[in-house]
Amino acid sequence: MKKLTPFIFLFVISIQNLFSQNKYTISGYVRDAATGENLIGANVYVKNSTKGATTNHYGFYSLTLTEGIYNIAASFIGYTEEIKQINLNKNIIINFSLNEKPITVKEVTVTGEKSDANIKSTEVGKFEIPIEKVKIMPAFMGEVDIFKTIQLTPGIQSSGEGNSVFYVRGGGPDQNLILLDEAVVYNASHLFGFFSIFNADAIKNIELTKGSMPANYGGRLASVLDISMKEGNNKNYQVDGGIGLISSRLTIQGPIKKDTSSFIISARRTYADIIMKPFVKKTSPFKNSGYYFYDLNAKVNYIINDKDRIYLSGYFGRDIFGLNVDSGSFKNNISWGNATSTLRWNHLFNNKLFMNTTLLYSDYNFTFTATQQQYDFSLTSGVTDYECKSDFSYHPSSLHNIKFGSDYIYHIFAPNSFTAKTGDVNLDLGEKIKLYSHNLALYINDEIELTSRLKLNTGIRYTLFQQIGPFKRFIQDAAYNIIDSIIYKKGENIKTYSNIEPRISARFFIDTSSSVKIAYTHNYQYIHLASISNVNLPTDIWVPSSSVIKPQFGIQYSLGYYKNFYNNYYETSIEIYYKQLKNQIEFREGVTPEQSIHNNIDNNFTFGKGESYGVEIFIQKKEGKINGWIGYTLSWTTRQFSEINNGKKFYAKYDRRHDISYVTNFQLNKQWIFSIIWVYATGNAMTIPISRYFIEGNIINEYGEKNAYRMKPYHRLDLGVTYYFKKKKNFESNINFSVYNAYNRYNPYYIYFETKGNINEYYLETKAKQVSLFPMLPSITWNFKF
Amino acid sequence: MDNYNSLIIKTLFIIIPIIFLSCEKEITVDLPEPEQRLVVEGWIEQGDYATVILTKNMPYFGKTDSTTLVQMINFPATVTLSNGEISETLIKTLNFDYFPPIIYRGTIIKGEIGKTYYLTINSEGKQLTASTTIPPPVKFDSLRFLLDKNSDSLGTIWAKFTDNPSEKNYYRIFSKRLNRDKKMIPILGSVYDDIFFNGLSLSFNIYRGYDTFTDIDGINNDKEFSKYRLGDTVVIKLCTLDKEHFDFWYTVEYEVYYGENPFVNPIPIKSNIKGGGLGIWGGYGANYDTLILK
Repeated sequence: MKKLTPFIFLFVISIQNLFSQNKYTISGYVRDAATGENLIGANVYVKNSTKGATTNHYGFYSLTLTEGIYNIAASFIGYTEEIKQINLNKNIIINFSLNEKPITVKEVTVTGEKSDANIKSTEVGKFEIPIEKVKIMPAFMGEVDIFKTIQLTPGIQSSGEGNSVFYVRGGGPDQNLILLDEAVVYNASHLFGFFSIFNADAIKNIELTKGSMPANYGGRLASVLDISMKEGNNKNYQVDGGIGLISSRLTIQGPIKKDTSSFIISARRTYADIIMKPFVKKTSPFKNSGYYFYDLNAKVNYIINDKDRIYLSGYFGRDIFGLNVDSGSFKNNISWGNATSTLRWNHLFNNKLFMNTTLLYSDYNFTFTATQQQYDFSLTSGVTDYECKSDFSYHPSSLHNIKFGSDYIYHIFAPNSFTAKTGDVNLDLGEKIKLYSHNLALYINDEIELTSRLKLNTGIRYTLFQQIGPFKRFIQDAAYNIIDSIIYKKGENIKTYSNIEPRISARFFIDTSSSVKIAYTHNYQYIHLASISNVNLPTDIWVPSSSVIKPQFGIQYSLGYYKNFYNNYYETSIEIYYKQLKNQIEFREGVTPEQSIHNNIDNNFTFGKGESYGVEIFIQKKEGKINGWIGYTLSWTTRQFSEINNGKKFYAKYDRRHDISYVTNFQLNKQWIFSIIWVYATGNAMTIPISRYFIEGNIINEYGEKNAYRMKPYHRLDLGVTYYFKKKKNFESNINFSVYNAYNRYNPYYIYFETKGNINEYYLETKAKQVSLFPMLPSITWNFKF
Repeated sequence: MDNYNSLIIKTLFIIIPIIFLSCEKEITVDLPEPEQRLVVEGWIEQGDYATVILTKNMPYFGKTDSTTLVQMINFPATVTLSNGEISETLIKTLNFDYFPPIIYRGTIIKGEIGKTYYLTINSEGKQLTASTTIPPPVKFDSLRFLLDKNSDSLGTIWAKFTDNPSEKNYYRIFSKRLNRDKKMIPILGSVYDDIFFNGLSLSFNIYRGYDTFTDIDGINNDKEFSKYRLGDTVVIKLCTLDKEHFDFWYTVEYEVYYGENPFVNPIPIKSNIKGGGLGIWGGYGANYDTLILK
């Protein structure tokens, strides 16, 4: 028997060779033919089969198939599909350059497959917004805004009138990971949240994942908003811009070396301060006040060879507000902003293994200074991150799509630093406190095609968070009095947390036009946003986890049914979700900012849990003369803290029972596009007084249960029309006229209670007043491109 | 020292409606009948008898006129004061310097520095209790009148004060213009915690307070609002208080100044009344200075 074994072995191998066919890999990039921009999420597939791949964030795809002759097609929404016939008998590189589809006048008849990514993808709750769609939405004060568009999708709610902070499935604004070219953005809002910091002209791709995120993302519980900047046209110079009533913007891009290297610079500034000055009365005490914001995006990239490419990008933006009350007795300046910079290196090890390594710097800073007579005061708050991450994507076969990588961040938080002076004396407000921590994540994720119908997306993320010194810990007794302190040296380990986050989701095809998806994920979040008020303000502070603040933890279950009609013309879906949140953070009731002085800010927090669940229904028509979507969300979000509301469960401020969004764009012809948006949302929750009493001649309110009262519902209609002038030589322009809140509804922004009268005359009356922010607001913007 | 609180909040409350075109309208809010609670406003100062004002809470939107006021203040109650050794029942009297004008006043026990005083109130089947102490009083280093830059008659009072570094102190400041104010009125931002200036010598402005913030027209028409007038004689009272007493006035002032401000979360009033009541029973260590403004 011994002698026969080698023969049997050889025999088995040779039989295997007879039956196994060779597999080869097709790989390459999908790009825009006119500008050279990589297309993210483009489909590269074998015609008349389910085999295919999608391009990653750098436009790269890899598809492994058995030997044979194939028609390979590359498609991307808004572009004409390109098909190449190949005889696959070795590994080959195929790059696709797609052309933008010309604007159609009549309904497009079915020619080529529409994207059915919503059915095929294993990612639940993912939503991609083509930047071109954002640009034709009705503009708010002349600016189209990415956040405003995102808030129109089911499950995403705005936090109130004019605000661009958003809540995803009942989670707080700090639970959304906002990335700009991979750098974390801590405060993505201009003007107290009325606009986002993203200039639509510089942005290429917007991808939103609601919870259930795959293992390559982490650090936040509710969502990931991954925004990619354009690389810059590497074939021709291009200028885009817009001039509006409130603000203007300009983008310049072009090749540094044709097809090899390019740059893009984008700038935007409001001049509301200059415009308002003539309208503010000379006698008004506020005549020397003003507000403006600006932002700047810049990027440069260089293709070193067909295996390597580097990118250097940066963002810098600032909001500046100055209030100068005329008598000189009161002066105030508030400024805040982000600065980010990213250096990335794409490297292709082989046609199956792609790597991106990034070095990042992110800084968010908020400063408030005020002077009143002899009294000077300043408050600063901010976060600085130094980060290094590596992401690999490995495509061993058409059945597996593996991602793995690491992410290391060094955080420096300065949650609140105060200085104050009265007369010549500097008040003792404690030392400037900085909090240092390490944050490391390692992940591996695989998308596995188990059968032709069942695809699994499964992964694990291991995360580690460590607070290190230098640090002074103040110890409190049960009555919150400081009794002792401990000093930690530089680099000394104060507290370490490590966790494993499993992520799993699966997609099952019922037939070629419908599927069912299910997902189960664990997430940990190590940094938190603490709010002083119910309204989102730049005075909200970012704090890291510590020995007192445990990491936030969320478990999400979701289930969805997806069906497309008329050959993917209409996409519909219904998704239900249930989330459990632990270690949620709030300031303790009655805490005022001074209590953080000569103390650790985390000694003023209290912790609790939350729950949120709901159903999201969505119908979308992506292409054609008339396109748009309708979304409806029915949801509940509650919180429970032992030290708030007497330990009773209460509705979170993000609780919104009904949320409806209706968006329609109508392309009349090559010159005219009309768009309509209608939104409806249940009113915001707030705490109101239930009785009152007198102390020292003044009225004191006794408050009821937290968030037990609802403001009136919010609904609004926006209309927009864009007229495209005839294209001359290389110059294109259009003029957009928008009306925000077209039927002039007085939506509640906040409610306050006004007491009039005089107790000395034994007469008092209280009225409830509702303040609305925006009546009907028309705006005009002229946009150009050459 | 909620000056910087006021700076942050004042800014936010003013700018949002000013910069944007905001519209306001009256709405109706339906509220259930609230649970009725007894409200105590009581104090005792060294060298003086105790004073207690008793009222009840009212529904939020009800109109308050003389009829509802009578219901709010006219009810039977027994108020007892004890210093740990002897006790007395306070006597109900009428005094139009206060609102409401019905007060309970002591006649036997006078406040003494360092002692603890216990209050018991029995009314309509409910019993409330509270206790407080009188800390030793302190003095200003100096006080003088500081004329405003752009005025020839109005200004503030410039106070110099040194805090004792070896103790934890809380302060409250009142002022009264002779022949113009009926009683001592707390200044604007009247409560201070020495955590910010422990052991330091500092100077600051005193801004005159107003007797009731419900009188909005009165405040708007008062050309001297927050200021003192050249030529007036003003009595400044500097008080020390214990922590519980300070916590009450700090949270009350926060509510009075920012209660109607939607950008600020309401904070619960820290009352030291036990038994389901609201309000305060507090001791003051008082020091008086009289200043002729010139």
